[in-house]
Amino acid sequence: MKHPLRNPFVYIVMIIPTLILYSLFFIYPMLTSSYYAFTDWNGLDVYKFIGFDNFIKVFSDSDFIAAIKNNMYFILFSVGLQVPLIIFFALLIANVKRFQRLYKTTVFIPSILSTSVIGILWGFVLHPNIGPVNSFLGIFGIEPIFWLADEKWALPAILVVNAWQWVGFYIVLVLAAILALPKEMNEAAEIDGATGLQRAWYLTVPLIKPIISVVVMLSIAGAMRVVDIVLVMTNGGPVGSTEVMASYLVNEAMGVNPSYGLGTAISLIIFAFALVLTAIYQLTFGKTKE
Amino acid sequence: MKKMLMTVIMFVLVSTTVLAGCGNNGGNNKPAGTNNGNEATPTPTPTTEVKKAEPFTVSLRHIQIGEAQKFRKAILDDVVAKTEAEVEGLTFELDGVEDSVNRFTKLPAEMAAGNPPKIFDLFGGAGDALKYGAAGRLLDLAPILTELGLSDSFLNLDQFTQDGKVYGLPIGGNTEGFYYNEDLFAQLGIAEPTTFEELEKAAQTLTDNGYTAFAMGSKGAWVPAMLVNTLIGRYAGPESISGFPAGTAKFNSPEVVAAFAKYEEWLKKGYFTKGELGFEYADMLNEFVGGKAGMMFDGSWRSSVFSDEAQAGALTNKVGFFSMPAVPGGVGDQTFVNGNYSNGYGFSSDLTEQELVAVKAFIKNLYSEEMQLRGLLEDGLLPSIKLSADSTSKVEDKIVKKVISIMGASGGAFSHFDSTVTSAVYKEAEDQVLKLIAGKETAQSVGDKIQAVQDTQ
Repeated sequence: MKHPLRNPFVYIVMIIPTLILYSLFFIYPMLTSSYYAFTDWNGLDVYKFIGFDNFIKVFSDSDFIAAIKNNMYFILFSVGLQVPLIIFFALLIANVKRFQRLYKTTVFIPSILSTSVIGILWGFVLHPNIGPVNSFLGIFGIEPIFWLADEKWALPAILVVNAWQWVGFYIVLVLAAILALPKEMNEAAEIDGATGLQRAWYLTVPLIKPIISVVVMLSIAGAMRVVDIVLVMTNGGPVGSTEVMASYLVNEAMGVNPSYGLGTAISLIIFAFALVLTAIYQLTFGKTKE
Repeated sequence: MKKMLMTVIMFVLVSTTVLAGCGNNGGNNKPAGTNNGNEATPTPTPTTEVKKAEPFTVSLRHIQIGEAQKFRKAILDDVVAKTEAEVEGLTFELDGVEDSVNRFTKLPAEMAAGNPPKIFDLFGGAGDALKYGAAGRLLDLAPILTELGLSDSFLNLDQFTQDGKVYGLPIGGNTEGFYYNEDLFAQLGIAEPTTFEELEKAAQTLTDNGYTAFAMGSKGAWVPAMLVNTLIGRYAGPESISGFPAGTAKFNSPEVVAAFAKYEEWLKKGYFTKGELGFEYADMLNEFVGGKAGMMFDGSWRSSVFSDEAQAGALTNKVGFFSMPAVPGGVGDQTFVNGNYSNGYGFSSDLTEQELVAVKAFIKNLYSEEMQLRGLLEDGLLPSIKLSADSTSKVEDKIVKKVISIMGASGGAFSHFDSTVTSAVYKEAEDQVLKLIAGKETAQSVGDKIQAVQDTQ
């Protein structure tokens, strides 16, 4: 009994509780609930096995196809616009000498607020009659825009609000990576005559590529599971123009005509989508040389 | 040997941890009903005797939140206080939830999980009370009504009754119609419309003068669906509403499509609030009270707002009410009104003996002549139980008087179709009405699509 921790049995026995609890409260419910995806369970009546009917129904619904497209817009917006902005602002903040902490705190604040608060707050900001955005545009003679009631504006408005909420979090993440880089490298490049832009592009960005990769991954995962901001601001409307897969799931699984079987099928589809997309990213752009 | 001893000790430790985690408290926790609804929960034997008055709580979900519901909330508070005083040990736990959140989100989830509140706001009809009742989630109130002597008191329990069982009790009755701004009408020389032509002329005059003809907040589809429903009752006849599930009426018949087409025509003429798809029900009231809209289609339940200066402001006592006029070429009796006894309270079938006593006392106190009359006088809510002529003669509010006279002069009432058709059909109807507003569907395609879902039921 001198070295019990050298005994492999001890380790096996010690992980058993976690394995049991994990299986009991995660694996088992996940597997059993997955079964409901193949039933017509509405939460009340006796359900019957209906095979792939729920999946066929979902993919035959043009509203769900539109929801998938909207999720793709979230991904494109996050990766194509948000990530470059995150890097840009992180580089800017990293190079300021004064009030750096103030900037860090300021950009981080939105990400600690509840999404409900943000949704209601921006609902007021974007209000067509009394919102400050339209009041400002009115100065230039622009007619009030129905930001959340007009099909062409509702999704862009939500994309911007969602980005506003999360960029700060990612900026702090990237900033931490930049500040961890050895200063000597930057100074050496400066002595060699590299401009600020060159140093950022050829030195800093390549060195923080692993953290950028993580940010992109998190952005994709976040865009796939986005739902709360949509539900609070538009509930998927007007007429489904801001519907994403998860809000479609909520509206089908609950709401006027609840169908938990269908809802479970949609959740499996979202899971599969997220898995495939992150795998594709990891196998392509996410690969980093050791 | 030491290895073996260590392994055994660890195994015992692990087993103890897991078993401790899996234990239950031996209390009253009942496994959540997971699915099939075949497990009808046994209804406790009605009794009014409690052996031991131990403190207990009863959850009560209501929808009386916000300024517009303050009168109804005050009545509920008084009923709660009275019931708590009568039943020893009882404390109600009030849970105020927004109407549509309760109806479409919380309650369905709680019903599926088998843990609804003990008393809760409930809508009647196929999509709500009757569905939950059939699944064994609701208390059958028929024996309790007999016990309390209330069996013949209610004016209409149709939307809560199935196979002789009563699954809920309406708190009041209502009709839907147009509220109008009397000052604005006088200013623009518009008289209260008595014909459909006059109604449309009034809408056009308001629009021409820069006002919204009909305030509308369509973020929740049920709001425009109220008006669509009433137009259907006029164009396709009062029998059409109950005829949809029976198959005697079709959503894509020319008469029903005519109702959708009229709504579409009004949309194109710009009679409704601009950007209505982004506005809530409360925004609709704000627009009307703010004097930006001449008319608002809503239920008679909203009338108390217009006699309360804190809510109606400059419009206090300056609002009139009229029912949807007869439409030219409309089918059936055009004096019928859109009338409902569909919203009230339901009770969980899972009650202890003490909770059942509390439920009975709650019913006795809420559905009393005193509280129903208060609802009528203070809140403008039409009573759901029969009141004496002496009681109803006390009504002074002009809108309530008008509502009573409209209902008295009507040939009968047709209900809202959300209480007759299945949830799937109603969901499709809501989706299609919103698409009609957005200009993504036409009157005919809306009718076709709703009927397609109806055909699958």
